[in-house]
This record gives sequence, structure tokens and C-alpha cells, in this order.
Amino acid sequence: MKLYRPATVLVGVLFILLGGLTRLATPDHVYEKQNMEVVHGTIGEKLPYGDSSVTITRMKFAKTVLESGAGEDDEPIETDGVFVALEWDAVRGVTEPLSANPTLRADGGTIYRPLGVTESGLDFPDPGFAQIGAVVFEVNPSDLKGLTLRLDPAPLYNVLYVAIDVDLGIPSEDVAQRLVDGAAAQYVFGNREVRVA
Amino acid sequence: MESLDDVIDAMIAERVIHRHRRKWLIAIALVVVLALIVLATGGWKEKKGRTVPTLTAPVTVTSGKWEYNFTKAEIVQHPKKEYSPAEAELLVYFDLKNMDDEQDTSDSLDGRLLRLVPGDGKDLVESNGATCRGQIGWVVVFGLPPVSCVTEFDVPPDFTADMVEIGVLGERFESDQGFLGANEDPYWQQPEADAVVQIKPTVVVDNGEKK
Repeated sequence: MKLYRPATVLVGVLFILLGGLTRLATPDHVYEKQNMEVVHGTIGEKLPYGDSSVTITRMKFAKTVLESGAGEDDEPIETDGVFVALEWDAVRGVTEPLSANPTLRADGGTIYRPLGVTESGLDFPDPGFAQIGAVVFEVNPSDLKGLTLRLDPAPLYNVLYVAIDVDLGIPSEDVAQRLVDGAAAQYVFGNREVRVA
Repeated sequence: MESLDDVIDAMIAERVIHRHRRKWLIAIALVVVLALIVLATGGWKEKKGRTVPTLTAPVTVTSGKWEYNFTKAEIVQHPKKEYSPAEAELLVYFDLKNMDDEQDTSDSLDGRLLRLVPGDGKDLVESNGATCRGQIGWVVVFGLPPVSCVTEFDVPPDFTADMVEIGVLGERFESDQGFLGANEDPYWQQPEADAVVQIKPTVVVDNGEKK
């Protein structure tokens, strides 16, 4: 019996051509992370994160930060830049969401990480509940244009994961300057309240 | 029944094996003795001593993505009390600036990048990172002016020194080898010794009136 009939070879060549064609058709996707889906949104918008969801409810600029449990002796935390506090409302779905790492990105290329105090962070409550809290960033006032909150899931490479991009509505340097000038004297962390979703 | 040839073969083989046995034993013994001599005289490796510059505070050191400006050091002693044993720690003060122009990312200082060099061949002591503005593990923002920080080293309660030496290690912005399947994007990794800073410490006794 002949192992490779012309038809078999033809089908093989066709498959190779098809593979090449799909690469040509979507060149952007070849090197992109195929297993990531980015949800874009704005402040006040309920954004799905798996079967949970996150809403950024409020953005506040402040010159100092005080923890909620601070006593009379505790000094507020100061900065040479400015603090941006983002208050969130996270509704937990049934399955456990991947822990979300919040970062701020600006058009100037700076990436800001959250303030290293215990209360500054974003996490999800038990299933069936919703939680409010705040995440605070120390930022450089000269790089605020196009500030975007990014919620990156902890890297797992074998699942389709969802990242969230929240546009914080700072389209220009002037707007940024206004926000910095109008920064409150102090931001006090609220309690992490949990309610039934 | 074995044939005569087999028996003769076996005899010859035995002779051959035994003929040079003593020489072999002597050669092996010589190698072992040589190895012992090398070990006893301090190993094969050449001792180089310190290969990084030794600086004296106050000094500015740029190492990896951090710029340090070392100012002072304190040995804080907590004398023995009724309910607590004597303790001491070494505090080193410095201004810290984030110089990460590769990634422009804010980050906290890794405690492994500053190490106390006790001398006399003792192990280095890792720090506890940078405590700035009263917060341990402070996240230093890229693009902001230096922030004054302090780091703490655990030292024995009777620790004294005229001069403490702090080793500064800097990470390198490198990528992993890609041919084994690792991601080739570079990142800050593999800290290497960049400098040793000598600081004259002052001794502070903490009687614990207020803590």
C-alpha cells in the first residue's frame, strides 16, 4: 500500500498554509497573552471579575493618611507627593476569585503600588457577601495624567483570567493639578464593612 | 567440568590483576594524602578578600535600583528587666530614593539588600527592610524625592563596635535564560555586593519609659 497518496500530502500542505494564514490575519495576537481578558470601566461602574464584581465608588486626593484604628498619639502618614485613595465595593460570587493586585498606571509610565499599611488593599469577602474598603496610593503629582487603576489577578498561566482597568478620569495635566491643589488635608480609612450582597 | 583452557585463563587473569596491585594502592593513597594536604592548608580556592569599595558615612551609594544616603547609626540597648531579657538592635539611618528608571515602579526595599558585616568571618546579618514615615515595608515611589528611612539589624545584647560595616547589595536588571522556556523579559534580580559602608554608631540606652 502506498503510504502517502497525493491527496494526503495535499491535505497536509493545506493545513500548513491555513496555520500561516491565521498568523498573518491576527499578528497582534501572536505575542499577546491569549489567556487574559481586560475589562475596561470607569468610576462608579460595576465591573465583573469572574463571577464576582468590583465597583470603584470614590476617588479622593489627600495630603496625609490616618489609619482607622489610630489613637491620639498616632501621627498621620505624610508624603512629598500626594495620596490617592480609592474606595471600592466588592461583591463576592460563588467561586473564589483570584486575589487582585491593584496598581495605578499613568501616561508618563510610572507604576504605583499601594501604600504598605494593613488597611490599604482590596480583597473579597465570603460568598454571598459584599465588602467596602479603600486602597491608598502614594503618587508623584507630576505624573498623574491618564491615571488608571489596574486589578491584576495573581499570575496563573493555565486559566483564562480577567484583569480590570478603571479609568480614573484625569484626561490632562490641568485636571491633575486641580485635583492635587484641592487635596483634602487628611484621609482617614473607614472600617471594612461587610453586608449581605 | 571446566576445561584446562578455562583454568589457565583464570590463572593468567589473576596474575594480571595482582601484578600491579601495590602500585595502584600507592597511587590512590598519594591522591588521598594530597587532597588532605590541600584541605589542611586552606582549600584550593584563592582567598581574595573584599572586592567592593569600602566607604565611610555620610556617603551616597547607588546600587541597583536604590540610591542610599547613609547618615548615622545607633546601637539601641534595652537593659534586662524583671520580665524581659536584655536586648539590643542596631539601627541604621539613611535617605532612600527609588531610581528604577527601567520599570518606573514603586517598591519597598528588600531586607536582603542591606546586611551587617560583623567581621571575623561570621555570617552576615540581614536587615528588616526600610521603615520610612513610621511604616515598616514602606513603598517608595519612583519620581519622588528621597525619603528618610531606618533599618534594623538584630544583634546580641552585648554588641559593641567602634565602627559598624553595612554591606550594600544591588539587584541587576536582567532576564533569565530563555532556551529552557523561561520568560525572557528582564526584571530586577540576583543581588550582588556593591559597596561596604562604615558608620560610627552611637549607643542609646532605652529604659522603656514609653514604647
